[in-house]
Amino acid sequence: MNCHERAELTPLYLSGELEEERAAAFGAHLKSCAECIGELQHQARLDARLHDVLLAEDVNATKVDQRVREMIASRAASQPAYRDESRRWILATAGIAAAFALLVLAGHRFLLGKQVAQVYADAARDDQMEVVQLQPRHWYSDPAQISVLAQKVGVPQSALQALQRGPYRLERAKICFLDKHLFLHVVFSDGQRDLSMFLRQRDAMSVQGSADEMMNGKLVQTADIGGEHVALFETPQLIVMVATTQSSDAASHLVAFAASKL
Amino acid sequence: MPHSRSLLRVARRIASDPAAAEDLVQETLLRAWRNFDRFEKGTNVRAWLFRILFNAFYAQGRKARSSPLVASIEEGRLEAMSRGDARAQPPIVEAAAVSHALQQLSDDHRAVLLLGVVEGFTCREMAEILSLPIGTVMSRISRARQALRERLSPACSDVLHPRADVECAEREVS
Repeated sequence: MNCHERAELTPLYLSGELEEERAAAFGAHLKSCAECIGELQHQARLDARLHDVLLAEDVNATKVDQRVREMIASRAASQPAYRDESRRWILATAGIAAAFALLVLAGHRFLLGKQVAQVYADAARDDQMEVVQLQPRHWYSDPAQISVLAQKVGVPQSALQALQRGPYRLERAKICFLDKHLFLHVVFSDGQRDLSMFLRQRDAMSVQGSADEMMNGKLVQTADIGGEHVALFETPQLIVMVATTQSSDAASHLVAFAASKL
Repeated sequence: MPHSRSLLRVARRIASDPAAAEDLVQETLLRAWRNFDRFEKGTNVRAWLFRILFNAFYAQGRKARSSPLVASIEEGRLEAMSRGDARAQPPIVEAAAVSHALQQLSDDHRAVLLLGVVEGFTCREMAEILSLPIGTVMSRISRARQALRERLSPACSDVLHPRADVECAEREVS
């Protein structure tokens, strides 16, 4: 890869979308080109500044929210079409919620199909290949660069900071795909061993595991896949997964710590 | 309302004034409510809302760019900079310079920076939101980053590109 190709691919690199092969070539070029490293660091710094400046602005959407609620209520009350539409929408939402509640009551293990288990299998595979076998990947250890990656998957800086206030040290991070979703793969060390944590902004993706328990107020779902212990919980903002071959206790300890901090 | 703050943050930077920004977000949320049956479950609802926002914005026609609200914030901060307060309050001055430079960009450049850098959308998601080929998004965001840097230089070059970083990079290579 030359400097021109590096420049062309930089948007995909910074957004964590570069495939493994090209990411490796990108990383190899950076190691041999001080100018490109400087350029990329400059760009990452500028991105971080722009992000922080705009997120620090006072944005109050209360008035708009109120107006929209009133307009929806007004239309639903005054127009039969809207009323019917609104009623259908409410009924559909209530129906989905009720169905979901029934499924939860019936037990997560009955939900375990190929699709819902995929994210666990992908996390187990990534930990096995990238942390246990140490296959070559382009990792980031610079906090500023990790912060930029975290932004790409909707993980706030405050969450990363909270996870570093405890017995674990953040070693390195990269972006990965689990079940076709971008996650931040973070490797923590407790001084003796490395453990994988996968983070992303919470959305509509399905994450049911095979068993669950409560830890520090969070419902933690777990799955054992080929010697890997995988555990997952959600906060209102984040999906958090842990994967390790060490022991289910090691996974539980890290999950309990993360659940207490996030 | 879900994501209304994010939508308003972006709308304030692309609409003609604060009232127009609120109207744009209102229109976005109402369209989303009316067309909720078209939303594909399991896909990214945030990206879907931003796509509606930009469709509504483009449907209105691109009106005057810089928001008076934003402009007034910038004027105050830039005055502080001209008074020589820069060293006393570097974070504020820097924020003003970055914010002001962003408003000087074209609508297209500002849109990709807002979506990609501030809101954290990937290039593929931006291509969906803006109905553009991904190659166009990639080249546009590269040019937008370059344009932003040019507008910030030289006022903030010492803040954004400290010598220490270059030295650190050189050490890493050697």
